[in-house]
Amino acid sequence: MKKRVFSILLALGLAVTALAGCGGEQEAQDPAAGQVQETSGEKKTFVFGDTTFNAENGIADINPHNNSGGWACIRYGVGETLFRFTDSMELEPWLAKGYERVDDLTWVITLQDGVTFTSGRAMDGEAVKECLEALVDTHVRAAGDLHIAGITAQDQTVTIKTQVPVPALLNFLADPYACIVDMQAGVTQEGIVSGTGPYRAVSLVPDTSLGLVKNEDYWNGNPKIDEITVRTISDGDTLTMALQSGEIDAAYGMPYASYPLFENDGYTISGCATSRVFFGAMNFESEITSDPAVRKAIAMGIDKEGFVETLLGGNGYPAVGAFPDNFSFGGDAVSAQTYDPEGAKQVLEDAGWVDTDGDGVREKDGTSLVLRWLTYPSRQELPLLAEAAQSSLGEIGFQVEVNCTADHNSIRVDSGAWDIYVSAMVTAPTGDPEYFFNYHCLDASSNNDGHYHSDRLEELAAQMAQTFDPEQRAQLAIQMQQTLLDDNAYVFCSHLRMSMISRAGVTGLTAHPCDYYEITVDLDIA
Amino acid sequence: MGKYIVKRLLWLIPILLGITFLSFAVIHLAGGDAAQQMAENSGIALSQEALEAQREALGLDRPFLVQYLDWLGGFLTGDLGTSYVSGQDVFSTFVSKLPATLLLAVTSVALTVVISVPLGILAAVRQNRFADYLIRMVSFVGNSLPNFFVALVLMYLFAIRFQVFPVISAGTGWKSLALPALTLAIAMSAKYLRQIRAAVLEELGKDYVTGARARGIPFSVTLWKSVLRCCLSTILTLLSLSIGNLLGGTAIVESIFMWDGVGKMAVDAINMRDYPVIQAYVVWMAVIYVAVNLITDISYRLWDPRIRLGGDAR
Repeated sequence: MKKRVFSILLALGLAVTALAGCGGEQEAQDPAAGQVQETSGEKKTFVFGDTTFNAENGIADINPHNNSGGWACIRYGVGETLFRFTDSMELEPWLAKGYERVDDLTWVITLQDGVTFTSGRAMDGEAVKECLEALVDTHVRAAGDLHIAGITAQDQTVTIKTQVPVPALLNFLADPYACIVDMQAGVTQEGIVSGTGPYRAVSLVPDTSLGLVKNEDYWNGNPKIDEITVRTISDGDTLTMALQSGEIDAAYGMPYASYPLFENDGYTISGCATSRVFFGAMNFESEITSDPAVRKAIAMGIDKEGFVETLLGGNGYPAVGAFPDNFSFGGDAVSAQTYDPEGAKQVLEDAGWVDTDGDGVREKDGTSLVLRWLTYPSRQELPLLAEAAQSSLGEIGFQVEVNCTADHNSIRVDSGAWDIYVSAMVTAPTGDPEYFFNYHCLDASSNNDGHYHSDRLEELAAQMAQTFDPEQRAQLAIQMQQTLLDDNAYVFCSHLRMSMISRAGVTGLTAHPCDYYEITVDLDIA
Repeated sequence: MGKYIVKRLLWLIPILLGITFLSFAVIHLAGGDAAQQMAENSGIALSQEALEAQREALGLDRPFLVQYLDWLGGFLTGDLGTSYVSGQDVFSTFVSKLPATLLLAVTSVALTVVISVPLGILAAVRQNRFADYLIRMVSFVGNSLPNFFVALVLMYLFAIRFQVFPVISAGTGWKSLALPALTLAIAMSAKYLRQIRAAVLEELGKDYVTGARARGIPFSVTLWKSVLRCCLSTILTLLSLSIGNLLGGTAIVESIFMWDGVGKMAVDAINMRDYPVIQAYVVWMAVIYVAVNLITDISYRLWDPRIRLGGDAR
C-alpha cells in the first residue's frame, strides 16, 4: 500500500517535472515573454506593462482597421497617421507634408518623401489610398466619420473627395484608426501590420504580449531601443509589483493607490489631462431633473475638488466643461456652477423643495427629492463618484439612489428609469469638439438619452457643421458648452489624468493629452 | 463496468444541451452585448447605425433562440465559432490556453497532496498535542486568507524582497509556475488537511484499529496498511473536486500572475458577453466534471472493492 501511494506521488512529481521542463524550453524561446532583458546580451531592451492592451478594450491586435487596434498600433510606435496632435492638441502634418482644401468637398494631401513601410514598400499616394479605402470598408466608425466619396492618388499626392462637407476631416485622419499601413503586405493571422513607425512588430499573443524590434530604416530619426516587449498586465497590483521588481521598465494604467510608491527619485511620473471626462447627463423627462432648480442644485452640490483630491488621490482634474484646459476651447474658457452647498440649499428652498417631515430629504407637492443615479462599474472612478455625490447631495436634501450596473446600456434608453446618467466618455478623440455634441447633446444624437433639447445648441451645431476654420470652430465649441452649462443639462465632474510611470533612466516616455503617443522614436533607456 | 462507463458518457448529451442552453439564456438575461461592451470600454460613442451594423455583423440582432440554435449547429459539426471580441477562432484560442491550465492544475494538486496528506495524518496521529494545534492553526489561517491576498504576499516576498521568482509569468517555465501553483496549493491544503485529519481520526476510532493494537500489530503498520487505505476514498473525492475546479481555471490567480489560462479567458468573456467563448468554456467544464467524476468513481472501485458501481452486478 505504502509503495502504491509512494509510486503515485512519484509519478505525479515526474509528470509535473516533465511538464515544467517542456515549459522551461518555451520560456527561453519566447521573444515576447518579458525575458528579453535577460537573454538579449548587449542589446538595449525595454519592457512596457500596460493594463489596456487587451481584447476587452477592443485592442486584440495592432490592426488599425479592427475595433480599437489602431490605439496599439500608434501607441507602441508601429503606425503613424497623416496628421498628428501637438501638445496643445492642434493638428500638424506627420506622414503628410502639407494639405490644401480645394473646396468644401475636396482635400489634396501631399505626402512626405522617403518614407517606407517596415515591409520595405515605399509609402506613396497609392499605398495611402489602398489603406484608407480598406479603412472605410471595414472599420466600425470610419465610414461614418470620413464620408469619403472617392480617393485618387498620384505619386506623393492623395486627393480625397467627401460626400458632404467634413470640416474635421484632417482630425479624423489623425485618429488611430487612420494609421497608414501597407495593405499589400496585409495583416498576419495574429493581427500584425507593417507601418511606418520607429518599431516593427515581430510577435503578438492577444491579451499577453507584443514583441517589437527597431525599424532600422525609420524615416524620422534613429530609434534607440533594439527590442521592446509590451506586456498586458490586467491586474493593477501585479503591474505595481512588476515595476517595483524591475521586471518592467515602465507602466501605463497604474492604480491610483500605487502612485505614492513611485513618487521618489527612482521613478518618473509623466501625466496630463485627457479629454476623457466623468460626467452626468440630466434626464429632461424625469419629474425631478426636469426642474431647472434641481439641476442647478445638483451642479452646485457636487464637490469636484474633493472628489479628485480625496477619492482619486489627486489623479484627475476637476472639470468645468466637456474639454480639459489643454484644448483652446476647454478648461476655463467656459464657466459652470461652483461647489456651494449653502447656495444649493437656497436654490431648492426658493423652488419649493422643503424638508417638511424632518427626515433629511426635501419634498415638494408630495414628491420626495429622490435622485436615481445610474452609472456602471467598469470604470473604477464612477462608483467612487456616485458615493461622493450620494454624500454631498445628501447634505443638501437629496436622497441619492445609486444604480451602478453593467446593464446600464439597457436601462439608460428607458427615460423612466433614471434621473441622472453618469458615464465616462472621451469628448474629443480627434481633437475636434464637434464629435461630443453630435453624439451626446443634439436632438439627433445617439446618446442623448435624457432628451435634452436647446434651440440655441441646435443652431450652433448647424453652424459648426459648415465651419472649417479651427479658430471659429473653437469659438463655437465654447458657446455650445456654455449653453449646456447654463441649462445645467450636464455636470462635468473630472477629467482623467493619463499617467505613465517609468523607472529612472528611461527618457522620452511622455504622457500626451490625446493618449495616443507612448513609444516614440525619442524613447531611450540608460 | 464498461456498461456503466457508456451510460455515464451518454448522460453527457442531455447535460451539455441543458447547461449550454441555460448559460446562453443567463448571459442574455444579464443584458448588454459584445458590441455595446466594446464601445463602452473604448469610451468613444458609436452612432446607433454603427452599433446596429456591428450587431448585425456579429449576428446579435437575431432572436435568442436562433442565436442558440446557430451556435448548437456549429458545435455539433465541430465549429465553436469565432470570438466576438478578438475575432479569433474559439477552438484554437481555447486549445492554446489549455496546456497552461493543465500544468497549473496538476502542479498545484501535486503540491496540495505533498502538503496536506502528511500534515493531515500527523495532526490526526498527534491529536490534541502541539503539532495538532499548530497544524490546525495554520489551516485556520490558510482558510481565512483569500487567494488574491496569498498571491500578493508571495509576490512581495519571493519576487520583490528575495527576487527568486518573477511577478509576471513569462511562458510556462517552472519559475513562472512556482508562485501561482503555491498560491493555489496553500488554499487547498489548508482546507484539505483538516478533512484528511478528520477522516484519519474517524478510522483510528474504529474497532479494527483497537483490535490490531490488542494483537500487537505495530501502529505504523495499521496506519499505512489499513487506516490510510480506508481514507483514500475521502482523499480521492477531495482531489477529484479540486481537479475539476482547477481545470476550469482559476481566474483570480491567472489574472494576478498573468498566467495565460482558460479561467481568465472565461471571466473576460463573461464581462464582454462573448457568447462563443463562454459556450466553449461551459462545454469544457461539463466534460471535465463528468470525466473527473467518472474516473473518481472507477478509482473508488479499484481502491476499495467493497464499493460497487451502478453497472456492477450485485
